Amino acid sequence: MSALHPKNAAHKAALLGAEHWLCMERARYYTESHRESAGLHPSLRAARAMQRVFEKMTVRIEPDELLVGNRSSQLIAPPIAPERGDFTFIFGHLMEELKEFGYRISPSDERVLRDEIIPYWQGKTVRDAKIAAFQRHGLSSPLNVSPREIRRKLRTFGVGALVRLVVEQEDEGDHLDLVARLPRLLRAVRAGSGDNLKGRGRCTDTQAHIVLGHKNVLRLGFSGIDAAARARRKSAKTDAERAFLDSVELSCEAMRAFSERFAVAALAQVGATSDPERRAELDAIADICTRVPWLPPQTFAEALQAIWFTQNAAIISYGAGSGITPGRVDQLLFPYYQADLAGGTLTRAHALRLVEEFIIKLNNNVIIWPNIGGVRLNHLGSDVENITLGGVGADGEDATNALTMLFMEAITNTNLATTASFRVSKHSPKDFVRQVVAIHRETNSPAFLNDETAIQAMVRDGYRLEDAREYCLVGCVEPSGNGDTYGATGGSKVYFPTALDMVFNRGKTSFFGNQDGKDTGDPTRMGTFAAFLAAFYTQLESLVGWVTDATNLRDTIWAENFHNPLISSTIDGCIHHAEDMTQGGATYNFGAVGGGGLGTVVDSLAAIRTFVYEEKSVTMAELRDALASNFRGRAALRKRLLTGPRFGNDLHPVDELARELVARFCAMVSARKTACGGHFKASLISYGLNVYEGALEPATPDGRMAGEPLSNSMSPSNGAERRGPTATLNSLARIDHTHIGYGNSLNMRLPVGVLKSEKGIESVAHLVHAYFHKGGFHVQFNAVDSATLRAAQARPQDYADLIVRVSGYSAYFTRLGRRIQDDIIGRTEFETST
Amino acid sequence: MSESDAFRVFDIQRFSIYDGPGIRTTVFLAGCALRCGWCQNPEAFRGEHATVLRPDAVMAEVLKDLDYYTVSGGGLTVSGGEPLLHIAPVQALLTAAKRHGLHTCVQTSGAVSQAHLAAVLDLVDLFQFDLKHMNSARHKQLTGAGTERIHGNARFLRDQGATVQFRMPLLPGINDDAENLERTADFLLGHGAADLRLVPYHRLYVDKYAALDLTPGLPALVPPTAQDLQRATERLAARGLAVAVDG
Repeated sequence: MSALHPKNAAHKAALLGAEHWLCMERARYYTESHRESAGLHPSLRAARAMQRVFEKMTVRIEPDELLVGNRSSQLIAPPIAPERGDFTFIFGHLMEELKEFGYRISPSDERVLRDEIIPYWQGKTVRDAKIAAFQRHGLSSPLNVSPREIRRKLRTFGVGALVRLVVEQEDEGDHLDLVARLPRLLRAVRAGSGDNLKGRGRCTDTQAHIVLGHKNVLRLGFSGIDAAARARRKSAKTDAERAFLDSVELSCEAMRAFSERFAVAALAQVGATSDPERRAELDAIADICTRVPWLPPQTFAEALQAIWFTQNAAIISYGAGSGITPGRVDQLLFPYYQADLAGGTLTRAHALRLVEEFIIKLNNNVIIWPNIGGVRLNHLGSDVENITLGGVGADGEDATNALTMLFMEAITNTNLATTASFRVSKHSPKDFVRQVVAIHRETNSPAFLNDETAIQAMVRDGYRLEDAREYCLVGCVEPSGNGDTYGATGGSKVYFPTALDMVFNRGKTSFFGNQDGKDTGDPTRMGTFAAFLAAFYTQLESLVGWVTDATNLRDTIWAENFHNPLISSTIDGCIHHAEDMTQGGATYNFGAVGGGGLGTVVDSLAAIRTFVYEEKSVTMAELRDALASNFRGRAALRKRLLTGPRFGNDLHPVDELARELVARFCAMVSARKTACGGHFKASLISYGLNVYEGALEPATPDGRMAGEPLSNSMSPSNGAERRGPTATLNSLARIDHTHIGYGNSLNMRLPVGVLKSEKGIESVAHLVHAYFHKGGFHVQFNAVDSATLRAAQARPQDYADLIVRVSGYSAYFTRLGRRIQDDIIGRTEFETST
Repeated sequence: MSESDAFRVFDIQRFSIYDGPGIRTTVFLAGCALRCGWCQNPEAFRGEHATVLRPDAVMAEVLKDLDYYTVSGGGLTVSGGEPLLHIAPVQALLTAAKRHGLHTCVQTSGAVSQAHLAAVLDLVDLFQFDLKHMNSARHKQLTGAGTERIHGNARFLRDQGATVQFRMPLLPGINDDAENLERTADFLLGHGAADLRLVPYHRLYVDKYAALDLTPGLPALVPPTAQDLQRATERLAARGLAVAVDG
């Protein structure tokens, strides 16, 4: 392996050392235009607004940058899309928290935000319309409780539960601080609970989570897309179709104007630079930016710049936190790489430098949602721009190429929290998995995805085989089409333990106390485990129904009011259908529903079966009362529950509960139709949010206390795995992964020291091969030992670049909150014989 | 079930990666004729810490990881203690493993009757054979038995054409002196062996003794340093042996 290019080492240092800002440029210019465009078609309103943003926002070229394209007026400042409502909610209620986390905002920006942006969008955002729609359709379950009741709940759930909803409290014992901020936080919680669904389901304000059509930008350039829109306009039948196609033309023009601003900026810098090498670089930047992304790229450097421009502009247009995905970068870029190498116009070393810089840029993104990360600035790379590497091509043959390896090297050299997905098929090079495992000695980024399982799942969901083979990973691990799909793979979710809570409380949820669901009867009178399980599935069916209804209401709001012709113009199908992606213009359309807390609920069901129905050593009434009181005065009962059989240990009867639950959940989800005519697909991913997901869950029959984290993704509960990695993989593989259309993730800590020997690395590779042979979809490893992690907690300054993967995305360990850190440490370490 | 059909198992360890090729399941059997002062499995001395199991029950556990063996070329390792002390159930287990096409490995101290080795000869793909010290008197002092029977068994396995991988626990100050290393090399070359696996001493076993209310025969040693390992490796390599250090 090589070392990081010195110029890229400087870019990395700048990124890690940069202040985090809140910049209002995107929000302000979009708002300004929106104010003027009332009455126009929503596609035109969006196109005009983005045209204004791209004309007026600051253009920055950083020192020694070769790839250009900034997101805002500061090096790190996520683009703000106020029309969504999530940002305005956070700014309206949690600005003080953001500042405490270290975000800075200029006084003038703060004034603009307070006096212009927030007031204009009041009542107009997706969020506002969504909450109104939920209420209209009886889908809300607001927090309608008195302050006294909240205090009682706080006692039951542990003092941190409510606070953790909004921010992460570094130290729960810090009561003074807590008391001081409680009134403000409670107001935020109350306001935020407007979008709390019946049954605790989640349906975010955003959709997105999409693979951009970079392939179309490279093939046609925006000039070609513009031409296609003009051609299609001739056969347009309605004003709406013409309006959409006009908005595509405006968007393409806006992209040309935006890139030309960078050419001008580069030329302006040439005059101010004496270093001849940098002058030549700036000249080259200017040349490239006058060509792409308007024209189809001719060289590797142009192709990479075109991808970055498109990626960057798409993120500005949608706003941060939207899971905008570049896709199969090794495949997209390979023809240019090959041609340039053959023509002698590119060296491998220069390509590596460019790719390293690209990787660093992918890590320059953050989500402004305080509880994603920790107490201080923490979440570089959290707005995942997942890159997909390796796998088969459309023809089914292995498509792993020299660039796959070059990206692997760049990921290792940059050693940032890059989210990279390595596709593995039966046709992958023999040594491929072993090589990716070996990267773990340097960095913790890679995830393994099984082509056979993913492609089978895609075909099952309606993709043509050739399209399925081109799948890319979106967000954490969601397989989606390559620039042909609007799938909103994230954002809507139910929690399995909620269904259990509702069985015990006859349709109510413990925390919110509303009669959300059906009364499935008195649990103490359920004579058999089968009867109990039937009640559980009845409640789960309701949860899935509410969250899909809610998602369709939200999606209708986007379709009617908030289009994105820029992104749509790159997606297969939108121009052909003359419809925005939010209206169903893409070739493929789906929705997503995630399921959370599988391990927690399977362990809980297994405990009920064992202790209540088989051993009869615990009565259902005792159990119900113990859960309601969070085991107060019932430590012995809790201790017994903790000895119950656990998912993840290759135990058939427990694994069978998990298999059935996933199969039934996936069937419930797939049966529901989306607003755009597709169907919903299930996922089992927790985005690293399982700590927060547990905050409002009462105690569970597996012995978990109220407010404690749920199990993450499809992984067993923390500490449950006692029989080593093969046992865990066997348990997971009993589940049919091809039904889980939007993926599942298994996070596994590697044994301490296993990567020190070649045999160890090879054995981890064999684990992956065997798991995939058994039908597993995804696995990723964390290769740090708990001693190292504890040392990092004690001396964070010495471990600033220690990376862990939290359920799909990578994060800097020392920048995570204490609770997530503890959660990661709590993951079982497998022992190997020595 | 009669006692002779079953054996006393004190651990079944899945995902064993340092006990033979590939990914393996290692079955640890209680009972041993030696009392090595650094033994990392003192449970083996005390039958009450083991579970009496029949070979078919053990095999069912072993077969859970069949896919991992197939992918990695791994299989079953029988260890201990000395696994060849009670031969009938071991023979049954190895026969079942071969019937399922698994690679089989037996880790032996060599301190067993030759008839027991002969009984499993056709069922074992690899013997991992420990050499602790070349000096018989010193060996007796360290382990409770001399080297005569052990070395005789090593010759027997060679003469029978068995595949044998010799292993040596590297114990700083005990067996890593120049003389013992040279004599180990003499022994190996005399056997036509081309390689040796060094197993560095570690202290992870110490807590086990306390939990079992036992005292190790030797006070805890300082584990070998990288230099110790390098020195031993170089000396053996100078004699033309391929030396591998186990993780």
